[in-house]
Amino acid sequence: MNPEFERNAWLELTPLRLVVLAAVLALAFFAAALSNGFFTPGSVARLMFLAIVVVWGTYNAARSVVGEIRDRTWDSQRLSSLGAGTMMWGKLFGSTVFNWAGGLICLAVIAAESINTGIAGAFAEVVYYLAMGVIAQAFSLSASLIGARRRQGRTGFEVFLYQLAGLLAAIAVAVIADPTGSSIGTFPRTDTLRWWNQTVPTSAFLLASLAVFTGWMLTGCYRQMRLELKLSNGPWVWLGFLIFMIGYAAGFDAFAPLHFDDITGRLMLAALVCAGLAYITAVLEPKSAVQLRWLGGEFARFHLGAAFGHLQCWMMSFLGAAIIAGALMLRFGLAHQGPELATTGAVLGFVTRDLGIIVLMAMLTRRRGSDLLALAVLLVAYWLMPSILHSLQYYGGQALFLPNRTDPLWMSPAASWLEAVAVWAIAATQISLSKRKS
Amino acid sequence: MITVTDLVYEYPTTRALKGVSLHVPPQTITALVGPNGAGKTTLLRCLAALEDPYSGTVTVAGHDTRAEPRAIHALLGYLPDFFGLYDALSVRRILTYTARSRGIIPALTSTAVDKAAGRVGLSNRIDVKAGDLSRGLRQRLAIAQAIVHEPKVLLLDEPSAGLDPQARRDLSMLLVSLKTAGMTLVVSSHILAELEDYCSEMIIIEEGLIVGGKAIKVKDIERPRYIVEIAKARSDLKDFLDARAGVDVIEADQYHALITHARSATARARLIRDLINAGFDVSSFGEASKALEEAYFSQVGGGAAR
Repeated sequence: MNPEFERNAWLELTPLRLVVLAAVLALAFFAAALSNGFFTPGSVARLMFLAIVVVWGTYNAARSVVGEIRDRTWDSQRLSSLGAGTMMWGKLFGSTVFNWAGGLICLAVIAAESINTGIAGAFAEVVYYLAMGVIAQAFSLSASLIGARRRQGRTGFEVFLYQLAGLLAAIAVAVIADPTGSSIGTFPRTDTLRWWNQTVPTSAFLLASLAVFTGWMLTGCYRQMRLELKLSNGPWVWLGFLIFMIGYAAGFDAFAPLHFDDITGRLMLAALVCAGLAYITAVLEPKSAVQLRWLGGEFARFHLGAAFGHLQCWMMSFLGAAIIAGALMLRFGLAHQGPELATTGAVLGFVTRDLGIIVLMAMLTRRRGSDLLALAVLLVAYWLMPSILHSLQYYGGQALFLPNRTDPLWMSPAASWLEAVAVWAIAATQISLSKRKS
Repeated sequence: MITVTDLVYEYPTTRALKGVSLHVPPQTITALVGPNGAGKTTLLRCLAALEDPYSGTVTVAGHDTRAEPRAIHALLGYLPDFFGLYDALSVRRILTYTARSRGIIPALTSTAVDKAAGRVGLSNRIDVKAGDLSRGLRQRLAIAQAIVHEPKVLLLDEPSAGLDPQARRDLSMLLVSLKTAGMTLVVSSHILAELEDYCSEMIIIEEGLIVGGKAIKVKDIERPRYIVEIAKARSDLKDFLDARAGVDVIEADQYHALITHARSATARARLIRDLINAGFDVSSFGEASKALEEAYFSQVGGGAAR
C-alpha cells in the first residue's frame, strides 16, 4: 500500500470515527425518509456529499501539506523515497479518506434514487459529484502546494484561502456542469451545443469536459508535487495544457466575436486564453529574484536547453499570447485593418507591462502582499487614472492607460510599449540589485 | 563523500553562503560549527538537496544536488534543528511509516524498525504515542527516523538539543558506531565539548564562508594530541621535543608543550623516559581533551585567512 495513504488512514480511519460517521449518515437518511417528501434520502445525500466531501474535504486537502509544514514534518517527507505521484495520491486521497468514506455512502444513496430516471442519468450525476469532489480537493491541494513554494501558507487564514480555492472550483463545476441544471453559466442549457462548427450533445460534452479537466487538475497537482520534491518539470506539459485550452476555448462558436471572420475570432479567443493564463500564473507562481537571475544567466550564456526547461508557466503563456497576437496583427495588416492592428498591438503592450508590474512589485516588496500591491497598481492604471482623465475631458490621454483607438493610430500602442519597456527595465534592475549589494 | 564547490546561496535579500567549498571524506564525523546566523543550517539544507544553490555545485556520493536530488535524498538521513513528529502515532508506526517511505520493503520493515528503536534506546517505548514522549525521548525518536533506512550520509542539525547528559553520552556512542558501520556524518552543534567526543574534522562557518577555507583535522585517531607539562621552566623544551623522532610540536613555552605523537603506549613511555633522563621535571603527560575547542577559537579569534 502507498505508505503516505496508509499513514493518513491510520490517523483518519479510526473505528470510532467510522462508526460515528455511519450512524450520523444513517440517521440523516432515515429522518429524510420520514419527512413526508419534504426531503428525500437522495436530496439529503447530495447536501451531505457537498458538506463532507467538498467543504470538509477541501479543508483536509488544503491542510495535507500545510499541516506538515506547520508541524515540521514536511522536510522529512520531501526526503523520502516516495515518488511525486505516490506522494500526491497519498496526500490527496489519504488526507480525505474519511471524507470519501462518507462521500461514497452518499453517492450510493444518490445513485439509488436517481436510477429511477434511468441509468444514464444516474451515471451522469455520480460522475458529476465525483468530479466535483476530486476537482475541488485537487484545487485546494494544488493551491496549498503553490503556497508552500511561495514560502507562505501556515496560518489558519491561509489554509482557509486554499480551501476557498477548492470551493470556488466546486462552484464553477456546479454552475457549468450540473446535469440536472437549467443553465450553463449564463447561457440557457440546450440539448446540444456548437463546438468547432459541430453540433454535440450537451450532456456528453459536459461529462467529457469534467473528466478531462479532472485529469488536468490531477496532473497539475502532480506537477506541483514534483516541484516540492525538487524535481524539474520541463515545459512540455504546460505547453500541452496551453494548446488544449486554446483548442477547447476557441472551439466555442458562441464565444467568438461576431464582427470578425471565423479564424480571426478563434485566434482572438486563443489569445485571450493565453493572456488570462499568463496573468493567473504570474500572480500564483513564486517570483524569486534568485531564480530569475539564474534564468537570465542561462539565456546570456546561451544555455537555451536549461533555460527553456526552467521557464515558468506565466512566461510560456505570455509567449503563447504574443505569438497568437502576432498572427492576429499579421492578419489585420494584410487586410489593411489599421485600427484593429493598432488595438492588438496596444493590448499586447499593456499585457507585457502588466506582467512587468507583477514581477516588479514582487522584487520591490520581497515579502507577502506583493501581488495585492500589483493588483492595486493595475487598478490605478486601468480604472483610477482613466477615470480622472475622463473627468478632465482629456479623452486622448486615456490611451496611456487603455488600449483605445486614437488619432493618430500609433499613439496607444506606442504608449503601451513605452510603459512596458520602462517597467521591465526597472524590474530588471531590481532583479539584479541584491547581487550587486552582496 | 561530499564535495562542495563555490557554493552560493541567496535568500531574497541576503546572500547566506558566499562561495563555500569543502570536502567531507567518507566514514568520518565532521563537526559544522559557527555562530548563530553563520549559514550552518542553510549549508546542511543545500547538502541535503532541499535547497537549490544560486551557483556552485554540491555532490554527494557522486550525485549532483541540482541534477539528481532524489538520488541524494535516497541515500541521506537528515535531522533538522526543528523537527516534528506525528504525535497521534506510536513510535512503532512512525518508524514503520518512515522505513516504508524510505524504500524499505515490507518484509524487512519490522526488523529495521526494531533495530532503529534499539539503537536510540526506545525499544521499551515502541508502542507509546509520540505525543506522550518527553522532549529528550522525542529527540531520540527523530534520530531513529533519520537512521532507520541505514543512510550512507547522515546530516544532524543540533542533534543533542534537549538530551540529558546520559542521553548525550549515548548519542556520542551511537554516532561513533554509525561511523564505524560505514556512515559519513556531518553534525552541526554549538556545544564544542560534546562534538569533541566523536568528531575528527571540523568545518567552521562564519558569515557564509568557511573559515580557513577548508575542513580542519582536529583529531587524528592514530596521532592524538598530548600536553606535556614540566614543573621547572626550561627554555629548551620545544627544541628537545622537536628533535625526537615521531613528535610534532604544535606549540610550546617554558612549562608546556602541545604535541602530536603516535598512539602507541610503548612510544609514549619511551618519550617520557627520554624527558626524565634529559632532566625535565615531568609533572603531567596526557591526551589533550579540548582540541576542537582550541582549534575553533584559534581560527575564529585569530581572524583566520578566508
